[in-house]
Amino acid sequence: MSDPLIKVSGLKKYFTVSTGELHAVDGLDFEISRGGTIGIVGESGCGKSTLGRLLAMLLKPTAGSILFEGTELTALKDKRQLKPMQQRIQMIFQDPFSSLNPRMTTFDTIIEPLKIHQVSHGAEREEKVYEIMNTVGLSERFVNSYPHELDGGRRQRIGIARALALNPDFIVCDEPVSALDVSIQAQILNLLKTLQQRFGYTYMFITHDLAVVKHISHEVLVMYLGEMVEKAHTEELFKNPRHPYTKALMSAIPVPSIHGKKERILLEGELTSPIDPKPACRFAPRCENASEQCRRQAPGITDLGDGHSVRCFLE
Amino acid sequence: MENDRDKLLDVQDLTVRFYTDDGVVHAVNGVSLSLAEGETLGLVGETGAGKTTTALAILGLVPSPPGKTESSATIFDRQDLRLLKESEYRKVRGNKISMIFQDPMTSLNPTMTVTEQIAEAIRNHRNITRQEAKVEAVKMLETVRIPADRAFEYPHQFSGGMKQRVVIAIALACNPKLLIADEPTTALDVTIQAQVLELMKELKNKLNTAIVMITHDLGIVSEICDKVAIMYAGEIVESGSLEQIYDNPRHPYTNGLFGSLPDIEKDVEFLSSIEGMMPDPADLPVGCKFHPRCKYARPVCSEQIPNNNEIEPGHFARCLIYEGKLPGQEVKKYV
Repeated sequence: MSDPLIKVSGLKKYFTVSTGELHAVDGLDFEISRGGTIGIVGESGCGKSTLGRLLAMLLKPTAGSILFEGTELTALKDKRQLKPMQQRIQMIFQDPFSSLNPRMTTFDTIIEPLKIHQVSHGAEREEKVYEIMNTVGLSERFVNSYPHELDGGRRQRIGIARALALNPDFIVCDEPVSALDVSIQAQILNLLKTLQQRFGYTYMFITHDLAVVKHISHEVLVMYLGEMVEKAHTEELFKNPRHPYTKALMSAIPVPSIHGKKERILLEGELTSPIDPKPACRFAPRCENASEQCRRQAPGITDLGDGHSVRCFLE
Repeated sequence: MENDRDKLLDVQDLTVRFYTDDGVVHAVNGVSLSLAEGETLGLVGETGAGKTTTALAILGLVPSPPGKTESSATIFDRQDLRLLKESEYRKVRGNKISMIFQDPMTSLNPTMTVTEQIAEAIRNHRNITRQEAKVEAVKMLETVRIPADRAFEYPHQFSGGMKQRVVIAIALACNPKLLIADEPTTALDVTIQAQVLELMKELKNKLNTAIVMITHDLGIVSEICDKVAIMYAGEIVESGSLEQIYDNPRHPYTNGLFGSLPDIEKDVEFLSSIEGMMPDPADLPVGCKFHPRCKYARPVCSEQIPNNNEIEPGHFARCLIYEGKLPGQEVKKYV
């Protein structure tokens, strides 16, 4: 991959809970190329949101490094060092109902980051708010509205506007369309794509919806219990999934068509616990191909070439 | 068309309004639907389309006041539900008609073991002893593939997918003729959703239960349903068999819904989204309720209310195009 904007290596985040250490993110290595979109896919509890928060610098990793254009994000200490980076990395949250301050109007919400980072002044700054609202397709008549007066789609547009206000390079999108109806979801996905084409943003798109990830990402990373199980270019991954979990995920999606129904791979059981995992393949308890080796030893990552890698003994 | 006597459920012209301080909310506006024994109907629509209210109205659960339910017929199993007293309705609910709610986390009682909760449903409708009901309840749990050794645990000890299976077990405990499932898998992860859907398909074939599947997911409908009704702003805008709706969607809204879905098998640069937002049910547009968002709309659409036009046998669409009012306009699939 040429010209990566972000290079993540050995990234770990453990949380201490009463019964041990919860391995939310457990040793991830990947790069994100400039102007591209990496999709992070997985089910609840696989650590994808934690990963998003680590990259947005909202959490401090337990170990590992995040290089952003050569700057080591994990080494930044005080506000003076953090602020210029925070301006370049922004986040869009899942739930537009709880991620906006109910006591702030659209205008207040969008101008706040401009004030904090002292971008432009006075009338010019206010002009900028209208400009951003226009960019995300929010009509000016909502400038003095409070979140409760707006529906989910418009609220999510405010969430996007707030992230764009500082003209960042990298945006972490944590399930930005999961709480929205399909017709509104399509509007927001189209908007995010248009913005990327216009301004060259780099996205990390976190979702559980494979159809959405296929639509928006250039590259996809599949997570299971804190680990990467498979990573490839979007087209390659959907054409040629190699990990049993990726295959099961793909066959589990109900396709809105009545022709060519595929035989479904049904996974037994549910996610096992990410607390103090044993040295074994974490997917083995649900995998129909699991052998003795899978239960005793943790598989490493196999590089299949052309950016496709998978964590499975079968490869 | 099926004979009237074969119909298990026949609802005609169902209207639900809520009289609030801020005006009248038109939640359901003249919905008609019918279902034969063992048949599965998918009721599809977005938030606020009136899907859940329709289901609650069939079950007689719309709170009154402020709600007011009217219909020209609500026949279930040759019984007119409109004439039932509350005490008689209670004998139908949970017995001949059951409902599964969306969120398994909140629809179970946290202070009772799962077996007790199933046994309670059975004892409400059948005259058997506590002990017999428990035996039945454990059998029911095994039907939904929860091992008997977990039968005396509490809901918090189960995962989301297992809780939803318990809810299904409660709903099926009295062997209902009709099951209304309100977004039964929306709160679950995809691999768990697949498990629950497979289970529902299997039970539907085994028990010959008719199902009304309320969902916003056209993928789920294609898995499990025989017939489809698409709802928008309290109306059924298009209805027909699964093949008719999926191969030949004729209402602009249905078509827009299909276009809004990212397709895992096709690559498109941009999704053909539906512009605008769902209208406020307290302030619905005049004429066709979809016209402010419809790309085929002409001035006539804001003046005339479209009929439910039969465009091929059993396939209905509520659009003026099929009344010859929009010359030259034709709804083509996914454009």
